[in-house]
Amino acid sequence: MTARVVHYLNQFFAGLGGEDKADTPPGVKPGAVGPGRKLQELLGADAQIVATVYCGDDHAAAERGAPAAIVQLIARERPDIVVLGPAFTSGRYGVACALVAAAAQRAGIPAIASLHPDNPGLDDAGAAIVIASGASVREMGPSLERIAQAVRKRLAGEPLTDADGRIGKTPRKNVLATDRSALRAVDLLLARMKGDKGRTEVPVPRFDRITPAPPVDPAKARVALLTEGGLVPQGNPDRLESARATRWLRYKIGEKTGLKSGEHMSVHGGFSTVWANQDPHRILPLDVARELEKEGAIGELFGEYFVTTGNGTTVPNARRFGVEWAAELRRAGVQAAVLTAT
Amino acid sequence: MHGLISHPVHRVALGGVTRYENGLLTVDERGAQVAFRDAALASVRVTWASPGDSVRIIKVLDAVEPRTKGPGPDGGGIFPGFVGPARPQSGGAPAHVLTGVALITAGYLPRAQEGLIDMSGPGADLSPFGSTHNLVIEFTPAAGASWEAVDVALRTGLLTLANRIAQSALGPSRSDHPPVRPSAASLPRIGAITNLQTQGTFKDVFVYGKSFARERPLPIDAHELFAGAVVSGQYGHPALKNPTYVHQNNPVATELLKRDGKDLTFVGVIISPEPVDQAAKEQISAQAAQLCADLKMDGVVLTKEGGGNADADVALKMDALDTLGIASVGLFAEMGGPDGTAPPLVVPPDRATGMVSTGNYDELVTLSAMERALGGETVDVLSAPATAPLTAPTAVIYCSLSPMGAGRLTCREVVQ
Repeated sequence: MTARVVHYLNQFFAGLGGEDKADTPPGVKPGAVGPGRKLQELLGADAQIVATVYCGDDHAAAERGAPAAIVQLIARERPDIVVLGPAFTSGRYGVACALVAAAAQRAGIPAIASLHPDNPGLDDAGAAIVIASGASVREMGPSLERIAQAVRKRLAGEPLTDADGRIGKTPRKNVLATDRSALRAVDLLLARMKGDKGRTEVPVPRFDRITPAPPVDPAKARVALLTEGGLVPQGNPDRLESARATRWLRYKIGEKTGLKSGEHMSVHGGFSTVWANQDPHRILPLDVARELEKEGAIGELFGEYFVTTGNGTTVPNARRFGVEWAAELRRAGVQAAVLTAT
Repeated sequence: MHGLISHPVHRVALGGVTRYENGLLTVDERGAQVAFRDAALASVRVTWASPGDSVRIIKVLDAVEPRTKGPGPDGGGIFPGFVGPARPQSGGAPAHVLTGVALITAGYLPRAQEGLIDMSGPGADLSPFGSTHNLVIEFTPAAGASWEAVDVALRTGLLTLANRIAQSALGPSRSDHPPVRPSAASLPRIGAITNLQTQGTFKDVFVYGKSFARERPLPIDAHELFAGAVVSGQYGHPALKNPTYVHQNNPVATELLKRDGKDLTFVGVIISPEPVDQAAKEQISAQAAQLCADLKMDGVVLTKEGGGNADADVALKMDALDTLGIASVGLFAEMGGPDGTAPPLVVPPDRATGMVSTGNYDELVTLSAMERALGGETVDVLSAPATAPLTAPTAVIYCSLSPMGAGRLTCREVVQ
């Protein structure tokens, strides 16, 4: 029996256009498209690409609910497996492939994403399988060969390992140890002191190092105010989480020159909110930002602020918020932002 | 003379007189209510919840183990600063402990993040208090009372009651801890640093009755901890909090004391605040590491309270100890996302990488429906009725990721 494969591509590889088409909403084309044609050749008769689902990079990475909408289109094709990419080192495309792969996997559709090991999307792939691609489109051929081999193995129910180019995280699951943590800590300390220096229960994580963008002239810039301090309208009408945030919100500041106590509150669970609620400018400095705008020290203040809660928020969620904020701000013509952290 | 004298409790009841006999602890219900007589409280209700009961305790605040060091209202100096006088109790009597019992306050307080304990079903294994007999104290604040006054009344009542209940076990018996013998000079000298989360009202920890927020790292005799010198008023991060009960039983100090003279020499415990700004964190960390060097420690086990920023207080101290040539291991909970693939830590140590995992904060657990709930009617953080079956992050289960090492949860890589 021929297995049904759905292929996910961005607007560029689906043949719709470049950056100017990055806002394209999700859509479907029948059969294999672009790099999918070569992939179909490599897959042979055992597997058929029945449809190609595509979405613009900005839309997929920044539009809330986009991954879920894309997974719906994929599911409609009743696939045995979904293949995403290769996205090489492309940031938004990689994040989109990873988020859609993770959502598909959660929905019970086996997913294989193809990303370069340095792609920032790697940590967003959740429980989906990620196979290493090359760094750029010049390595399309070998990248597709690795995908084809992985698809064949996955469909045959064989495990995929480093030897297949598998990258990304192995899930860490909660288990009950025989001994309680205090005892294990003393044992580990004595073992390390006896020479087993590398022993640890927690692998040391690696983090992205961000190179700041070059400075802009503030007097000419449109400046946005952003915060992870959980500042929302009184009563928290949109139910921002007080910890472990999975989303962010945006609120209009329009022409306001300040924020009044009693009209705004912080829902952040990581600090005493008494002083923030007394004077919301302690979280979001709208008052001084307006003064600077009036003095001409900054060009113009953006008419909305973005907010989330940075308390117990996972790194992949925080990274996703960052990607979404950057895309939104770029779309709004903002050149600089002040992000207050608590 | 130091030491602990354990009196195991196997069965519990409410009755007219508080009494401990043959493993049966009976608590005088009226007497328990009297301990909470305060202008800030309109009334309190006391109920036992025992292992195996179909009961969920929600909005859990503090948990205290019944302990005393003698008769009378000052309990021979137990809980110094609250029940006994606010000073070190060295040279006092051993503490009598009713083991297998916790006194627990449960109900709404502002800024308290909701923690829950299941007495049966899959959740019971995840909290150290799923296997203790819990005397749950629910409360109704007095009209017009400030929340700060309610918090003080609950803490005072709970410690008073813990002393009174433990006094039912007073009598001649033998100490659990044999007298300390000088240990062999060749054994490694090991100590502990216990970080206390000190971030203002409802997020504070008390030492000898006073907030530890503006204090310096302080060496403290483990028996002072066992006598209740550290009391919790910290209601954030339910899975990552250290209630008074856990300080009374400081798991690392207990483990080191047990092994003193066998495979290590136990030097002592240093308690340290967790200040809120980076410069203070760095300064306090350097001071704590210097104290360890002054006390000639070869190795240190470090614990914390709270999430993300509290990791920095452990990581900075571990690297500071490394600079002084002292080995260390820190206890950390992981924040790896629901599927366990996100980076486990936000602020890991740079060089001193000995870490014990107390489990993943974000992993979802499924909890059974319960017949009865104590502490409230809804789990607000999940918008669910208190007795309903729940799917919730491990983070909401009280002390499930005990950063002081009281639990058995950890993380392992599971290949698909």
